[in-house]
This record gives sequence, structure tokens and C-alpha cells, in this order.
Amino acid sequence: MSQSAVADQDRAALAALAAPVRQSVVSLTGITKSFGPTLANAGIDLCVGAGNVIGLVGGNGAGKSTLMRILCGAMWPTLGSISFADAQVNFADYGTAEAQRQGIRMVHQELSLCANLSVAENFFLETPQDAAARPGWRTVYRARARAALDAVFPGNGIDADAEVGHLSIAERQMVEIARAAATPGVRLIVLDEPTSSLDLDRSKQLRAFIRERAKAGLAFIFISHKLQEIIDIATEIVVLRNGRTAWQGEVADASIGGLVQLMGGDANPVHQHAVSTASAQDVLVRLSGPLTSELGRDIEIVRGEIVGLAGLEGSGQKELLHGIFSPHAKQNGTVTRHAQAGFIAGDRQKEGVFPLWSVLGNISIGALARRPALGLVSDRANREMAAGAASKLRLDDSRFQSNITELSGGNQQKALVARALVADTPIILLDDPTRGVDIATKQDFYRLCNEIARSGRALVWHTTEDAELLACDRVLVFAGGRIVRELAGDAITESAVVGASFAQPADRHATARHKDAPAARLGRRLVDAAPFIGLAAVLTVMISANPAVASIFGLDLLLMPALSLVLVTAAQMFIVGGSEIDLGVGAFAGLVSVLSATLLYDQPWLGALALVAALAAYAGLGGVIQARKIPAIVVTLGASFIWVGLGYALQPTPGGASPEWLSALFSWSLGFVPTSIILIAAVALIVFVIDRLPLGVVLRGFGNNPTAMIRSGWSPTRYALVRYLIAGLFASAAGLSLTAINTASDINSGNSFTLLSVAAAVMGGCSLLGGIISPVGAVAGAVTLSLIGALLGTLNVSSDFNAATQGLILIALLTLHSLTADRRSEQ
Amino acid sequence: MNALTAFSLWSQRNRWIWAAIGVLLLWLVLSIVTNRFSLSSLSGIILSASFLTIVGIGQMFVVTTGRGNIDLSVASVITLSAFVALLTIKGEDANLAIGVAAAILLGLAVGALNSLLVVGLGIPAIIATLATGYVLATATLLSNRAISGFTVSPALKYLASGRISGVPVMAVIAISGVAATSFVLRYTVFGQLLSAVGQNRTAARLAAIRTGPVIASAFIISSVLASLNGLLLGAYIGGAFLEMGQPYLLQSIAAVVLGGTLIFGGSATAVGTLFASILLILIVTTMQIIGLPPGAQDIVQGIVVIFVLALAGRQAMIRRAPVEPTGGDAAVPAGDRQP
Repeated sequence: MSQSAVADQDRAALAALAAPVRQSVVSLTGITKSFGPTLANAGIDLCVGAGNVIGLVGGNGAGKSTLMRILCGAMWPTLGSISFADAQVNFADYGTAEAQRQGIRMVHQELSLCANLSVAENFFLETPQDAAARPGWRTVYRARARAALDAVFPGNGIDADAEVGHLSIAERQMVEIARAAATPGVRLIVLDEPTSSLDLDRSKQLRAFIRERAKAGLAFIFISHKLQEIIDIATEIVVLRNGRTAWQGEVADASIGGLVQLMGGDANPVHQHAVSTASAQDVLVRLSGPLTSELGRDIEIVRGEIVGLAGLEGSGQKELLHGIFSPHAKQNGTVTRHAQAGFIAGDRQKEGVFPLWSVLGNISIGALARRPALGLVSDRANREMAAGAASKLRLDDSRFQSNITELSGGNQQKALVARALVADTPIILLDDPTRGVDIATKQDFYRLCNEIARSGRALVWHTTEDAELLACDRVLVFAGGRIVRELAGDAITESAVVGASFAQPADRHATARHKDAPAARLGRRLVDAAPFIGLAAVLTVMISANPAVASIFGLDLLLMPALSLVLVTAAQMFIVGGSEIDLGVGAFAGLVSVLSATLLYDQPWLGALALVAALAAYAGLGGVIQARKIPAIVVTLGASFIWVGLGYALQPTPGGASPEWLSALFSWSLGFVPTSIILIAAVALIVFVIDRLPLGVVLRGFGNNPTAMIRSGWSPTRYALVRYLIAGLFASAAGLSLTAINTASDINSGNSFTLLSVAAAVMGGCSLLGGIISPVGAVAGAVTLSLIGALLGTLNVSSDFNAATQGLILIALLTLHSLTADRRSEQ
Repeated sequence: MNALTAFSLWSQRNRWIWAAIGVLLLWLVLSIVTNRFSLSSLSGIILSASFLTIVGIGQMFVVTTGRGNIDLSVASVITLSAFVALLTIKGEDANLAIGVAAAILLGLAVGALNSLLVVGLGIPAIIATLATGYVLATATLLSNRAISGFTVSPALKYLASGRISGVPVMAVIAISGVAATSFVLRYTVFGQLLSAVGQNRTAARLAAIRTGPVIASAFIISSVLASLNGLLLGAYIGGAFLEMGQPYLLQSIAAVVLGGTLIFGGSATAVGTLFASILLILIVTTMQIIGLPPGAQDIVQGIVVIFVLALAGRQAMIRRAPVEPTGGDAAVPAGDRQP
């Protein structure tokens, strides 16, 4: 009560003080956002003036992220208004694109760069207006990236042409900050935990840069849990707590201790050191090997203790948790577990809850998972078991039947703890479990953890909130993937943890880059070269069997039919580049072929119209898939029936004729080079050019990181349409080529292309995860695969084996890819 | 009004009801509009639907494992199994046991291969099963050449097309299969594990569920059911021909989705698959009676699948919308904002 009264007073005073003095960049008034029963934001006011550096602090779940999402247009508030210097803006018209237009940029904690694009291309995504569809358009962005990086982080040594995926986390963070800072017309930059992965020097550089730009009138909102940084850099501080403004004022009036208290984290929340009652002989987990090499001795985790894992985010804490959970996974021999382990995830949406189930179902699965699969399930037994666990947790068992997603974050977390309790494992692993949990539940949670530990279990607790480490008996501090410090008892302080976290930041590069074994590199090269080796091998065999193949006429005869598959592959490649697969692309080519041999031949205008309509339907399919978020595979499989059905309806038996102009397109000759080779090369060139254009970069961006693209203001539905339109154009060209080459049409003529096109794209180096277009490799792959039939003929093998050979090649390729993939992603 | 809201709540949990209502309505309309529909034509439709149901149940297990998993090899398995049955049984009841064993073995082998590719090597299910299908297609071509004659064992023929006081034996088989599946899904640990894996695979793994064996068993169930179905289908049509399994590819997926099983995984309904199979066969039969050309039948089926998916996609989105304000990085895409 008294606190909010104070806050009100302060706010009023501040408003009176600040309003007339500085020009306002943006102000939010009365922002309230509810998610079901919980209020993430309740009546928050925030006014940002030019040149302000606002330090935004608050515990996890205080509503910072929600407020910032609303500010950046990524979420709409339930109530409240937003206004800019010039005018009030209606939230209905406000979105990420509008926020960007108003000069608001946000640097997210989880990075929003496309890892498959270069640094310069990522700069392009943020400010596309300076790009043109001509060669050399990247120069502008290369220069801009260089300048921006040097302006914020002098001496960074980041190459503007480097693929972002090859940069370290700190380097990516630097790129992202520089990108936001360099945007023309930017007026406010929101930095969400910008220094979490930067070392001290870079952090200082960043703060120096902020100070300098703030003088020039740029505004910043700086979110950090490192309060020293906030005090150092901010001009004003806003403290959020449980979705409300707990305090707002000048930095001069703030102190670290005061801020901590305002955030609701009592300086000493649960420091109870439940000095373990169990004996040291009862070792449950032993850590050894390179992991503990910095300490020079093994670490043993015994019954009855809580061991905290600390360090900068991504320093190896999560890896250890998962290593303990499934010791066979990677770290051979460094983790030995002597008892069963349960896992409590903090990222409840992604790793914790089963969203279709009730609370009861979510709890009892913990015990079911450890029972034989053919055992019977009884609701009553489940309920009795869960009730025991829930009563310990003060989780109301009248809510057992509610869907888990209807519960608040804190109660969901309790259900997950209950799941671990019914599983009844001696070891419990906690992965940042209090993320997004309100303060009261947190206190409950700490108490509970103590009880669980005292009852004879070992808790291994990874947390990103340093204050929580005070609840642990021991803390292992990580840096660069290793344990660098062990703190126990009273030696556990936030400053000791932070100090140790930065112990050896340089070591990380060394360990990350050192893993590439020569064998793996060879394997990867082999995979990359597969289409070319395959093509060479096939051609060699065929020419040696029949030298006439090597003539211009022979090659044309052989390669012309490959052209259609090359075109379908080009189409499929764009779909695969968007991490989808089109199972109807071959049928679509067949339909176009039928249309061109019937309607287009008889009534050119009607035929052309029908072709355009088919193309529009095909592109529209892409829009539907994106807009409704439904699996492309099933939709395109359904569509393939439509294409085939249409084809049958138009032309029940093969026939028709190719229009003369169409045949002419494919039957000219230069005399000294086979026409087919020119055409195939032309297709590869066109794909290459599209891919290098700004449009191609955007499409690849969507294939890699759609969330980041949406944040940068790109429309996913529009680009899904464009992607399918491009694919449709290539597939149509394939259909036309079928008609021209066969001088007739058959609706089934394209069917076999569907699988082959996927195989060719994969063979050429495209990843089914999306984001990669590789025209030359895929074309070589397509040609190789289409020669399989002829090759089998040359070798006197029955054509019956055609399908099996193609299927086996695809399986073999994917196997090779999956065997080399792990290392590839670590590159 | 109250009854209506109660029903809408109930129907959210029992999504099979929509397919059942669809069957009922279409049946009513057809019997009123034409007078060609009778109880005997219903039993014919049920017979055809039984074959589809068996494949559909298998497909349902795979779909329920989530991540867009689909078994595209069922069509080839059905065809190959019918050929294998002809080759092993040779029309003699004495060879029936060998034939059934061969069909089960074939299913196990294909299912194991699919599982190896999907679970062991991490190849996307669609591509893996498509590739397996191609390999099987060659095996079918080869067995087609080895076939000496089309004779079917009488016992098998009875199973596939016989009737017990008017009720097709196949329907009894299919319905008992549906009942058994419903029981497994609802009352066994396996059913719960399957649902968990399909809803959230990471969470399932962290809850100590061994996800690999669960997913693998789904693929094996699918292949074995498809294979048994091929055996029976071959007996029903009195032989085997190339491409005989082809219609079951899309129809099995359609039956699963139409029946109310979530395409995103995690929730399956065997009863829904049964009703949706009947509905689909009813639609196809109607089109045949109206005299639509085969092409138009394909078109209608394709449209039904896309339409149902587009509707179901929306439903699943609502269900899975994040309710937690601080759910980490679950950013809300621009298109999905609720004002």
C-alpha cells in the first residue's frame, strides 16, 4: 500500500518535472495486459524523452517483456494508449512495422538474426529500402555493417560477409546491437539484457556508446539484471513488480539495495543452508574429466543437498543438467549418475507442459513414464498418487481436472514439481524453474526445495537469477563450458558468482572451434560433392558403354528429358528453402502439361487464362498453409489429388499436342553445344540470380528464422505467397517442357518428379530444415537422378529397379547428411 | 441454450461426433433424395469403410506421434502385401498361416525400416516413408512378374467378403480393432505415452519417457495394419494389381484428420477414424452414383482434406495459444494478435 502511494507521488512529481523539459519520443499510458486471469501489466505509464536512458528493472515475470512487446508492436494491450511526439496512435493500427516506422528498435535477448545470412544481409533485413535489384546491392550494407560495428564496438574484427551462424554468441549480440543502432531514423532503442553474453570490455564499449548517442538525442531503454550497470548508465529508472510500476525516478535517487527491495527480492530470501543430514558416502552424481579440469578434482553430489549451477547464460549449465539426465548423450564419461533423475523444466511451454491434458494428466505422467508400456492406467490410482504430491505443494487438488494451460505460471510449475515427486527419483534436476513465477510462489518454491532435499534427495538447480543461488548449499560456477569455481556455504555471494563467471571468456572460442575432426570434414566434403561425383560417375559409365553418348546429339537425347526434372527441382528447392515440402509439385507440372497440350493448343487465350488460374491456385495454397499454420505436406498431398483430378477431367487418356511455338522454344540449336545443356545451365543461373536478389535473401531469412523476420516487419503470408508463386512458375515451366519434349501430355508424366525433386534438392545440399538454396548442386543432382533410368538400361538392369534405386539413393543421401549434420551445426 | 453450450464443450473433447453427424446427415439426405440407398447398400459401404478403417487406425498412430509425422508407405505396403499373399497362400487354406505370417513379417520389416530411418537417423517421416514406398514399389513390380495365378484361399475370402447374418465379417474385424485401439489409447500406459510424445516431445523426453520406442512402435503398428489390410483387400477383390493401395494414401490421412485426430499429434480417436472412414466412402459412393468422372472424385477428396485441415488448424491454434505472459521467448507473431 504505502509503496504504491510513494510511487504515485513520485510519478506525479516526475511527470511535472519531465514533461515540459524534453521532447517526448513515445509515451505509453495506462497499459494493462491480461492473459486470462493474470495481469501481466496493470496500468503502467512510461514516457520516454529524447536523450533519455531508462533503466528498466524487475524480477522475472514482473512484466518487462510484455511491456516491451507492446511498445514494439508485437502484442496489443488489453487497455491503454500510445502516443508519439506528433500524435496519438490507435493500437488497432499499431504493429511491428508501424513501430519501426516510428523509429523504435528492439534488441532481443534471444537473438533475432538469421543465422544462414551474412552480417551485411542481416543489416539489409532491418532497412530494406536502400536495396535495389541490381548486382552489387550488398555493397551499401557491407559498408553500413562495417561502420556500425566499428562505431559501437571498436576493434571487433567481425567480417561483414561472414555468415552469422559462424559467429560466437557474443559476436552475434554485437551485430544485433550495432544493427539496431545504425538504423536510419531510429529514435529509441530497447536493449533487453544486452550485456548478458558480453565480456566486461565490450560492455564498457557499449555503455560508452550509449552515453555518446544519448547526448545526441537518441533514447534508450536498458533492461538488465546487473544493477550496477543500470546505475552506471541510466538517467532514469523504472522498477516493475507484479505487472505494476513499483518505482520510477531519477538515477540519483536510486541505490542497488533500494532497487532490490523494490523488485521484491528480499536481499536474503531463503538462505537456509539445509546442511545435509546425509553422509558423504551417498554419492548420487560424480562429475569428472575436462568438465572439472579447472578445479583439479572431481565433484560429487550427495543425497540431501542443493547444488546450484551459475555463470553467464550458455556457459554449459544446461548442458550439464541434460548430461546428468541422459549421461550417454555426449559427454562420454564426464558425468556418472548412480540413481534415477527427474527433470523440472523452467521453459514450461516448450519443455514442460502437455497442453492437451488436465493438471492430473500432467502430474501422473511422471510415474507412468517409468512403468511398463502395456500396464493399465487407472484414474483413481493416478489421483491418489497425485494428491499426495499436490498437498505437499499446496496445489489445490480441486483443479486436477482443469486444463493445465488454464493455470498460472506458478501453479503450472508446481504441477511439474508434482510430476517429479510422483516419479520419485533420488535426483531432481531443475532448469531455471522460477522463470516467470510470481514472488509469493517463488518463496513457496524455495521452501519446498529445501524440504525435498531434506527428505534425502539431491537437487541440481540451474538458475539465471543469481539471488536464488543463496538458497543452495553449494554453487558450481561455469565459464566457457567448464566448472571454474566451487562455492559453498557463506562463500556464496552474488559478487563471487559474477566474478567467477567472467573468469576466462577467451577460452570459449578455443573449445568451440577445436572440435572439427578431419574425418568429419572429409565426410562433409563428400556430401557436398556427392551430386557432382554422382553425375561424373553416371556419365562415365554410360559413355564407356556407348561412346556415341558423348556426341552433341547423344547428350541432347539423354539430357533433354532431365530438363523437366531440373525445373521441378528448382520449384521444390524454393519450397524446401522455406522448410516445407511440396508433395504435389510433380502433379502440378503434369496438370500444366495437360493444360498446354489441350486448352492452350486448341484455344490459346482460354489456355493462357487457365494456366494463370492454376498458378494463382498454387500460390494461394502457399498463402493458406501460412495463414492457417497447417502442415504443408498434407495440404500439398491433398492438392496433388486436385491437380491430378483436374488433369483427368480434361484429358482422361494421354494425348493432345504441343503448340508450335512451345516446341520451338525447346528445339533450337546452336550447333556446337547441346541445347539441353544450355537450357539446364540457364535454369541454374535463374535460380542463382533470384536467390542473390534482395527477394531471395528475404525468402532464405524466412526459411531460417521466421520469428526474426516478423520482428523486422516482414509479412509471412505475403512471402509465403511469393515463395509458392516462384515455385509455381518453375513447376509450370516444367509442365510446358514436358509437353514440348513429349509432343503430347499425360497427367501422370510428372508424378515421379515429386520424390526425385526432393532427393535432388537434398543431394544438392539443401537442408530440409530450410534456409538453403544451392542451384548448382541441386541441378547436378537432378540430372544425375534423371539419368538413373538410362543408366540401368545401359547396364541391362530391368527398369523395375528404377524406383528402388532412386529411393535407395535418397535414403543413402539423407543418412549421410544426418550422420554429418551434428558437426555441421557446430561450425 | 444451456444444452447447446454443454454440447459444444462435450464435442470439444469428443471430436469424433462431427464425423458421426456427417455420416448421419449424408445418409439421411441420400435416402430421401434417391431411393437407391437401402440397408444392403449401407452394408456394402460399411464393408469398404472397414478396409479404410484398418489402414486409418495405423495412420492415426503415426500422426499422433506429432511433428507432422505421416506414413506415406502404407499404399505400397498394401499392394505388396496383396502380392505376397497370392505368392505364399496360392489359394490353399493350408497355406493361410504362412500367408498371414508373411504379411505380419512384411509389416514388421517395413515398420522397422521406417523407424530406423525416422527415429534412428532423424530423417523426416514424410521423406523416409516416401523413399521406403519407392523401394517397395520395385518389390511389387518384381512380385507381379512372379505371380502365376489369381486364386484366393476360401477362408480368407470369407473373412474379406463374407457376412454373418448380413453383417460383413470385415466390419466385425474393423470394429473390434477400433474397440481395442480405443482401449489401448485410453487405458494403457502406452496410450498415455503416445499422447505425451505427440503433444510435446521435449517435455516427454524430460519426463523420462523413452520417445524412440514409442514412435517406432507407432510406425510398426501402421505398417503391420497396412500389410494385414493388403492381405484382406487382395482376398476381397480376388487378386492383386499394381497401384491397388494408391487410393488409401490420401484417404487414410483424410480419415484420420476428418475423424478428429489432431494433425499436430497428441490426441487420437479411433471411433472418429471409423466414422470418418464411413463418411469418406459414403462421399465416394455418392460421387459414383451421381456419375462424376474419376477425376472429379479425386478433386473432391483433395478439397475435403484441405478444407478440414484449414478448419482444424484454427482449432489447434486456439488451443495452443500461450496463456502465460512470461512464457520466455514464445513471441506472438504479428498475424496472431488478439486485441
